[in-house]
Amino acid sequence: MIEQLIRLLANSPAAVAACVAAAGALIAPAIGLAADSGAAGAVAYRDVPFVGSRNLVWIIAQLHLLLAGFVLGVPIFAWLCEVVGWRSGEKRYDKLAKEFTKLLSSAYSTTALFGGILLFILIGAYPKLMAYLSDIFFPSFMVYCALFLLETATLYMYWYGWDAMSEGRGKVFHIFLGFMLNVFAFFIMIIPNSWATFQASPVVIAEGSDLARAWAATWNPTWWPVNIHRLIANVVLGGYICGAYAGIRYLSAKGPEEREHYDWMGYVGNFIGVFGLLPLPFAGYWLMREIYQYNQQMGITLMGGFLSWLFILQAMLIGVLFLGSNYYFWMGITHRIPGSEAQYKKPILTMLVILLLCLGVWMTPHSLVASLEEAQKMGGTHHPLLGVFGVMSAKMTVSNLMVLVTFMSFLMYWQAGKQATVGWARVAKAVMNALLVLAGVAVISLGVYGYFVPAIIRINYFSTSQVGIVLFVLVTFTLLTSAILKSAKTTTEMVWGKMPPRAGYSLVLNAVMVVLLMTLMGYARSSSRVHWHVYGVMRDSSQYAFSPALGYAAALMAANTFFFCMIVAFIFWVATMGDKAKAGKDGHGKDEMGHGALPAMAGGSPTLDKQS
Amino acid sequence: MSEVVKLQLIGLSVVGTGIIILLFIQSKFLRVIGFVAIVLGLFSLVALAVPQMASLPPAEESIDIASIKTPADMASIGQKIFFSKGQCALCHSIGPSESARCPDLKGIGAKLSRDFIFESLTQPQAYIYLDYRHEGLPKEYPARMPYINKNPIGLSKNEILSVIAFLQQMSGEPISVNPSELEMPGAAPAAPVKSAQSETVTVAQAH
Repeated sequence: MIEQLIRLLANSPAAVAACVAAAGALIAPAIGLAADSGAAGAVAYRDVPFVGSRNLVWIIAQLHLLLAGFVLGVPIFAWLCEVVGWRSGEKRYDKLAKEFTKLLSSAYSTTALFGGILLFILIGAYPKLMAYLSDIFFPSFMVYCALFLLETATLYMYWYGWDAMSEGRGKVFHIFLGFMLNVFAFFIMIIPNSWATFQASPVVIAEGSDLARAWAATWNPTWWPVNIHRLIANVVLGGYICGAYAGIRYLSAKGPEEREHYDWMGYVGNFIGVFGLLPLPFAGYWLMREIYQYNQQMGITLMGGFLSWLFILQAMLIGVLFLGSNYYFWMGITHRIPGSEAQYKKPILTMLVILLLCLGVWMTPHSLVASLEEAQKMGGTHHPLLGVFGVMSAKMTVSNLMVLVTFMSFLMYWQAGKQATVGWARVAKAVMNALLVLAGVAVISLGVYGYFVPAIIRINYFSTSQVGIVLFVLVTFTLLTSAILKSAKTTTEMVWGKMPPRAGYSLVLNAVMVVLLMTLMGYARSSSRVHWHVYGVMRDSSQYAFSPALGYAAALMAANTFFFCMIVAFIFWVATMGDKAKAGKDGHGKDEMGHGALPAMAGGSPTLDKQS
Repeated sequence: MSEVVKLQLIGLSVVGTGIIILLFIQSKFLRVIGFVAIVLGLFSLVALAVPQMASLPPAEESIDIASIKTPADMASIGQKIFFSKGQCALCHSIGPSESARCPDLKGIGAKLSRDFIFESLTQPQAYIYLDYRHEGLPKEYPARMPYINKNPIGLSKNEILSVIAFLQQMSGEPISVNPSELEMPGAAPAAPVKSAQSETVTVAQAH
C-alpha cells in the first residue's frame, strides 16, 4: 500500500495533503472493515488502507520507543545532576536538573499517548499475535500497569515538589523520589523488553501457573543483553537530545547570559551522550554474541545475510556520531579556552586522521556487488585489499580504537586550561601514556592475530580481551585524571558562550545520528525474525511477512526521525512557553537577566534563582 | 520508473529543500529543520545506493497425509516439524552445542525405544532427566520439557510420530513408525492423544 502512496506522491505533490487527510480520516473505521476474515473470532490480521498495518505499527512503535527512550534516559542524569548540585552546593546543577525534568514531564504524557495508540493498533491489526502474547504475559501486563501508576505518581511529586522540597530533609526526600523514579522507570523498560525479546528468542513454555509461564518467557536469552543495551542507549539518546535542545537554544539566544547557559548545557548534554556512547559498542557486542549463541541462523541473517549492508550504514552513522562528538569537544577546547588552539592543533589532527581511517575500515563491506567480469578480475566477490578490512576482526579492532580516541578527546578537554599540582602527576601521566600505547598495540595485535584463529576463539577470547583492555583504560584513566585534577590549578578560565554557530548544528547532528541509529537497529532487530512473529514459533502469514529492502526501510526511518524531531520540538516549545511568558510579564527581557536568573531555560525556579 | 529511483528523487528533493532553507531563510529554528532535512535526505540516498535486498518469506507448506508413502517421507516431515512448529530446536541440539539448554538428541533414536520417546513427549514429567555433564551432583536442566501435545505447541499424534521417525532416522536406526499408523483427517483416532488434533499439518520450511 505504501508503494502506491509513494508513487502517487511522486507523480502529484498536490496529492500529499489529500492523502494525509484521507488516511487520517479512514484509519480508524478501516481497521474494522479491512479484516482478513469474515468470522469475528478467527481474524488474524486487519489491514489499514494506504499506509498498511505493518507500516502504521512501525511508525507508531518507533515514535513510542524513541519517546520512551528519552523519558527513561533523562531521569537518570537529571537525578545525577541534582545529586551533584546537592552535594557540591552549586545551584546551577540543580537548575539544570530541573530543566531536564521539565522536558521530561511534558514528554512523559506524549510517550504514554503513543503507547496507548500502539496498543489499540496492535490489538486491531494483529489480534491473533496479541492474544498469544497476552496468554503468556498477562501477569506482567498487570505488573507493568502497577509500575506505570507508581512512576506517574512519583514523577508528579518529583516535578511539582521541586521548589517545596528544595532544602534540608525535604531535599533528601526529593532525591529519594528521584531515585525511586529511576527504579520504576528501569522496571517499566525491562518488562516490555521481555515481550519484544521473547518474540526474537522464545523459550519453550512448560506447564505451570500463569506467573511461572510469564516468568519463563520473560527470562529468555536476549532479555538482559537488550535491557543493558537499551538502558545505556537511553542515556545516550537523552543526553544528545538535551544537547540538541541546548544547541538550538544557543543558536537562537538573544543575550550573552543565555548563550553562556546553553553553551554549558550543550556541553553537559554532549558529555552525557559520549559517556554512554563509549560502553555502548560493548553492550551491542554482547547482544550479538547472545543472538549467535541462541540461534546461529538469526546471527547469520543479521551479519551475513540480507541485513549485512545494514551494518555498513550503522558504521557510517556511528562514525559520524563519533566524529560529531569529537568535533564538539575539539571546538570546545579551541573556543572556550583562549590561547589553546596552537597547543592542541597537532593532537586534534592526529585524532581526526585515526578516526577517519578507523571509519574507513569499519565501513568496508565484506563482499562487493560486482559484475562477473569484475569478480573474475578481483578473484571473487571479495576484493583482495578491501576484503581484509571487511571482516569482523578488523571492525572490532577499529571500533575499539575509535572508543579510545574519543576518550582521549574527552580527557584532553578535561585537562585543558589546568595545571597539576600534585607531585606524582608527572609519573602518573607517563604511566598513562605508556598504558595508552600498550593498549593500542594490544588491540591492534589481537585484531591481526584474530585472522589466524578459528572464529569461536576470536569471538570468545580475542574480542572480549580487546573490550576488556579498552574498559581497563577507560576506568584507570578516569580515576587517575580525576585524582590529578582534584587539586589542579586553573591556568586558563573556561569562557562559555563563545562557540561558533556550527557547534549548535553539530549537537543537532549528533542527536539526529542517535535517533537514526535507533531506528536502524530497530529495523534490524525486527527483520532478524524474518517471517516470524515469534521466531520459530508463530509464523507471520500476513501480506507483510516480507522484510523490505534497506532503501525503502531507510526512507521510513528518515520519516520517523523527522516526526520524532518535530514532536520533541513541539514538546520543548510547550514546556518552556509558560516561562517565556512569565519572563516577559515580569519585565525581564532576556538581555537584561542577571547571571543565573534565567527562568525559561534554567528550570523556571524563582526561589532558586533568588537564592543563587 | 522504479521504486528506488522514485525514492531517490524524493530524497534529492528533501536535500534540495533543506539547502534552499539554509540559503534563504533566517529563522534559526527553520534553518535547523533545513539542516535536519539535508542529513535525513543524505542518509536515505546512501541507503538507496547500497544493494537492495528484500527478505521474502518461504511458501507455507501444507502436508498432505495421503501423499506420505514411506517411513522416510514421515522422517522428512518430522525433521521440518522438529525445527519449526515443534520448537524442539529451541532447547535441544543434534550434536554437541554450547548453546543447547537441554539434552543433546544425537543418537537418541537408537538409545530410546519409540514408546519411551512418545511418552517423553506427551508425559514429560514421568521421568526427570538430569544433567551429568559436570562434576558433583547432577543438576536439573535450565528449561522444563513441555507437553508437546498440548498448547502452545500442540503437535498432533501424526506430527509426533513423524518427529519420532526423524529421530530414529537421524540416529541411523530403522524407522519403526509406519505411514499406516497415521490418522486420516476426519477418521476416529485409533489411540487417543490428550489434546492432540489430527488435522492437516502446516509447517514452515526449515531454514
